[in-house]
Amino acid sequence: MIEARALSRSFDGRPAIEGVSFHVPEGKLCALLGPNGAGKTTTIRVLLGLLPPTAGEANVAGYPVPGSEEDGARLRARTGLLTEAPGCYDRMSGRENLELFGRLYGMGSADLRTRGEYWLRKLELWEARDKPFGTWSKGMKQRLALIRAVLHEPQVLFLDEPTAGLDPGGARDVRDLIAEFRAEGRTILLCTHNLAEAEALADLVGILRRRMLAFGSLADLSSSQVRLEVELAAGAEGIAPALRMLPFVLECSVVGRTLHLLLADLRNDTPEVVRAIVAQDGLILSVHPARAALEEIYLRAVREGPA
Amino acid sequence: MNREIWWLFLRKEVRDVRSNRQVWPAYLLLPAIAVLLPVLLLALLPLLADPSRAGGDPAVDLLIETVSRDSTLRGSTVTEKVARLLLRDLGVFYLLVGVILASGSAALALVREKEQRTLEPILATPLRDRELLLAKLFAAVGPAMLVAWGTTLAGSLAGAIVGRWRTGQWILPTAGNWVAWLLLGPALATFAALLGLRASARFTDVPGATQFTGLVVVPLALVVVAVVGRPAMASPLVGLAGAMAVGLLACWLFSGNVRRFRREEILTRWR
Repeated sequence: MIEARALSRSFDGRPAIEGVSFHVPEGKLCALLGPNGAGKTTTIRVLLGLLPPTAGEANVAGYPVPGSEEDGARLRARTGLLTEAPGCYDRMSGRENLELFGRLYGMGSADLRTRGEYWLRKLELWEARDKPFGTWSKGMKQRLALIRAVLHEPQVLFLDEPTAGLDPGGARDVRDLIAEFRAEGRTILLCTHNLAEAEALADLVGILRRRMLAFGSLADLSSSQVRLEVELAAGAEGIAPALRMLPFVLECSVVGRTLHLLLADLRNDTPEVVRAIVAQDGLILSVHPARAALEEIYLRAVREGPA
Repeated sequence: MNREIWWLFLRKEVRDVRSNRQVWPAYLLLPAIAVLLPVLLLALLPLLADPSRAGGDPAVDLLIETVSRDSTLRGSTVTEKVARLLLRDLGVFYLLVGVILASGSAALALVREKEQRTLEPILATPLRDRELLLAKLFAAVGPAMLVAWGTTLAGSLAGAIVGRWRTGQWILPTAGNWVAWLLLGPALATFAALLGLRASARFTDVPGATQFTGLVVVPLALVVVAVVGRPAMASPLVGLAGAMAVGLLACWLFSGNVRRFRREEILTRWR
């Protein structure tokens, strides 16, 4: 449903994204993570056909990017966008904003009325529907922007930082709604800084910093970075320096009596680690692998990726 | 072309004007000046065109000489001829109302969307560049022309009444006036709005677009009004030709605006 092949986009010769490739199958939610300026918003704009790529191509909802003006219009009719700012007109009421955007997406009066009322009631905005948008709270504005993005029932949704700046309650409401969209079978590309949000919602995770540093399901990504946890009876701090000298030990940290080790090859290197600990007179209570959390995967990818 | 989109943007712009008190002065003051100026000059007619002052005041001499040489001016007295000349030529002011309001409104059309951060959601809809620009153009020119035509009717009525008071004759708009107001007026307003739209697409902030419009677009449009407007008031044929020429110029400008409308530039240069 969303397929990017070696997408690149530069501004004045400075690359914003370089060779970005990924595939999000129909009905899946992909969280695109990355620090500020990583190219997440640029990726969305290129995929929506708002910015032509300087290299590479994509296919979104069956339409090529870059494509003809007609393809671009059809692609945008089948996609919905939630920008970081709500992007509605302050002087118009919530209902009028929905009517304007719904019409621009080609919706008829009856559809607009029915779906507008459904979503406004569902998101508890019905009472405020005729008040100027500018007078609404930030959470209400973000919910209306979400309604605007899904009102025309798009197959693909692009959500750019949907919970940024919301209070915890508002953020949870928006997350619940995104989960509902996914359950309805929509394909979603979610740009976020919130790793917990990505962990809770995403089928696929992409870590972007100009290039796609890592991409896959959370299980795949975390299994590629399994750590070894070795619990000792005592003296973990004393043994750690010797382990750090081993060439296949990429990272070694100590928490209480437990050694946390990142190894080059978990299966082959584990016996060597155990041997080294025993050689240091360490008394091992347990040895077991532990999957890396998304935060760890993210920080590692960003740290090791291109500057 | 989906005309419904035009009406959508038109309704939005009208709502914006209604709820934005900062733009009210332009919509009230300009028409008021355009109506009052000819009325005031007509009221002062005995001072302006007093044949007894001929030979003493060079301005009065020039005015009397001008009306004597203009064979298109009817009237049995010099005063009546001067009144007809004033009402005919000051009809240019009604053209200015449309030009200034349309260019001002168009100058804000895109830059204000960017400032409100509504442009990206608009660009993310299936709307094509041509449709967006046409809708914005219609939303700028439509209300401006309604105000301009309302001003024209009010001004013509007031002019006729004051003219009757001062000359004893009903002095009504000429055929040239009507052609200029109904055909040349919209063409000039469209031309000015397209210049304003061009500025709006290039600028990054509302003050910048407003200043550019005030300092460059409006004066440029005024030059065109001065060149075409006054001769058009005197002759319907000149008005018709002028309307066609300015209309062609506007078509050329519009296609240029569409060609130069760069979504990427608007999305990336404007922060």
